[in-house]
Amino acid sequence: MKLIKLVLPFIIITVSALTLSTFSVSAQAASDGSLVAKGAKLYSENCGRCHNPRPAEEYTKREWSVVMPHMRAKAHMTGKEALAVEAFLASTLTADIRDDDHSSTQDKPQRTGEELVTVFGCQGCHIIKGEGGTLGPQLDTTVADKGVKFVIRKLLEPTFNNAASAMPRYPMSTADKQAIVDYLKSE
Amino acid sequence: MKTKYLYKAVTTALLLSSASVAYASDASTLDVGRLAISGYGDVGYTYQPNKKDADGNDIQNNVVARFIPIFLFQMSEKIHIEAELEFAVDENGETETVLEYANMHYFFNDNTIITAGRFLLPFGQFGANLHPSWINKAASNPGIYGGHGGNGSMGGVTGIMNDTGVNISNTWSLGDAGKLFTDFYVVSGPRQEAGDHGGGVDMDVKKGDNNDSMALGGRVAYAFLPQWEIGLSYYSGAYSNDGELDYTAYTIDFNWIGSYATVRGEIFGSTAGTEWEEEVELPDGSEVHEEFLQDLNKNGFYVQGTWQARQLGKAWLNPIELVLRYSKTASDFDGSISHVLEEDGGRMGSRIYYGINYWLEPSAVLKFGAESTSIDNEAASHDPIADDRIFLQLAFGF
Ligand code: HEC
Ligand code: HEC
Repeated sequence: MKLIKLVLPFIIITVSALTLSTFSVSAQAASDGSLVAKGAKLYSENCGRCHNPRPAEEYTKREWSVVMPHMRAKAHMTGKEALAVEAFLASTLTADIRDDDHSSTQDKPQRTGEELVTVFGCQGCHIIKGEGGTLGPQLDTTVADKGVKFVIRKLLEPTFNNAASAMPRYPMSTADKQAIVDYLKSE
Repeated sequence: MKTKYLYKAVTTALLLSSASVAYASDASTLDVGRLAISGYGDVGYTYQPNKKDADGNDIQNNVVARFIPIFLFQMSEKIHIEAELEFAVDENGETETVLEYANMHYFFNDNTIITAGRFLLPFGQFGANLHPSWINKAASNPGIYGGHGGNGSMGGVTGIMNDTGVNISNTWSLGDAGKLFTDFYVVSGPRQEAGDHGGGVDMDVKKGDNNDSMALGGRVAYAFLPQWEIGLSYYSGAYSNDGELDYTAYTIDFNWIGSYATVRGEIFGSTAGTEWEEEVELPDGSEVHEEFLQDLNKNGFYVQGTWQARQLGKAWLNPIELVLRYSKTASDFDGSISHVLEEDGGRMGSRIYYGINYWLEPSAVLKFGAESTSIDNEAASHDPIADDRIFLQLAFGF
């Protein structure tokens, strides 16, 4: 049959793809810092290629789980890459990970600015100390150029000066924001 | 394989997977949902100082509105269904409803996705990825895609947008930032329209296939993330009822995406076989009737640049984006013959678009644009058409 002949090359490609890729994807939690950081990087590299990147807070986690396969197909991402992006999106939408002013922080040790920057995946989108993605501007001179107040405000409400911002809103504690600013200021 | 079998396959898959409860994946960190509704819409106003209707009356102002919901279903971790409907009120006040796509993705493994049903063909970038109005930076379509949702006078060189069939898509990593994307598909293919010289190529697929040959196509792209993507697409299918006339097309798309600016474009070419007949006079004075096939070509390109004024670091400039696009087409149809493929077009056309966009949200934009088209219709029966337009469009994705 003609159709078999036509479909055969696809089957071969697919089978070879199968043998090359490994199946098992280990379960990782949204709190896995390295997966979140990887997801932020993948988001920054892929999610602005066709359209303005859509910030995490536009959808619930439940909706994202349905939207992501649609975008995995559009963006030609692998399943593993999609999972990392999901972890990144989830991390900014998960109450026990974000550390807002209302949640009690007394029982948690204050994390350093460097740790927070890693956990939140800032370098997925920003160059900090020479390393990171280019979706957003470099942050090494931001505190010096625009002031501490500006950076704190930006972290609180990323759309305050740019309605189309892709920057996620991290309702982190005041102490966390200050720690990040101090880290960004440091040489 | 006919369209109805594909629909059956999709329906069966739907039934099968709805029988099994969508289960939570251990791997995903999200709460697993089942249904999401997204989509986009726009309201556009077009001012055309020199547009006349068939009776020569001025019709200079047009308002069009569209609402295009997308339904996404997650049947399981591996099976995902998507459908997009378009409701539009056109310039004549009539309502149209179109099924843009309805298909099933089967996530076969980490890097292979099989899609079956009606889908947007991975032919170039504009048709598959850039045409939704909140994504398209301009209020009109690039000249080579003039036909669909765009604006008339420069007939689009291709109607390749969506069709029914099967697609296999793969992703390969080449080093840290390099990626190879491949798509290959078999679809029901173009049809023949009634008309002289074999009519024309009708890409409207809702009627099902007219011959037993399917159309084949694919796209191979190299991406160097996040900045570069270059793709080569090919499409070929018989369109005549007897399966003897072919339509083939290719497009090369290039995309450069910077932090503040983008440059994109496509270089397109197509060939359609057409039927001709001629009375040939022999030396003895008698006439014979000859029939022959002739290829007619259409080609063109577009290039578009955008720049976000945010780069200047002034807060009030943050929402502003500038757009410039140039399109050019050339075709063998010189207007001297009547042929459906000719559309309203001329032999050569070029179009320039200047726009300013004001972003209200990441997916909501107010576009203000001016476009000028010039068409060289030397041999056509009608005079060159002056076509300058001003657009105001509000587009949103949700
Ligand atoms: C290859 C182009 C492309 C890439 C890359 C891409 N998108 Fe999209 N995206 C689209 C298109 C096109 C639509 C409009 C939906 C449609 O027409 O099917 C869309 C729509 C969306 C929507 C609206 C909801 C929906 O599904 O319709 C969201 C949210 C979204 N994209 C997020 C993302 C994220 C997150 C990424 C990165 C993982 C991404 N996109 C990467 C092309 C792309
Ligand atoms: C998903 C990508 C993304 C992530 C992750 C991200 N940002 Fe951003 N950020 C952006 C983009 C894009 C901009 C520029 C657009 C705008 O002004 O909102 C930006 C802007 C900023 C600005 C303002 C810079 C200026 O010069 O105006 C600051 C400060 C900032 N981000 C800090 C952070 C910090 C700190 C983190 C981690 C906690 C972070 N960002 C994580 C995308 C991101």
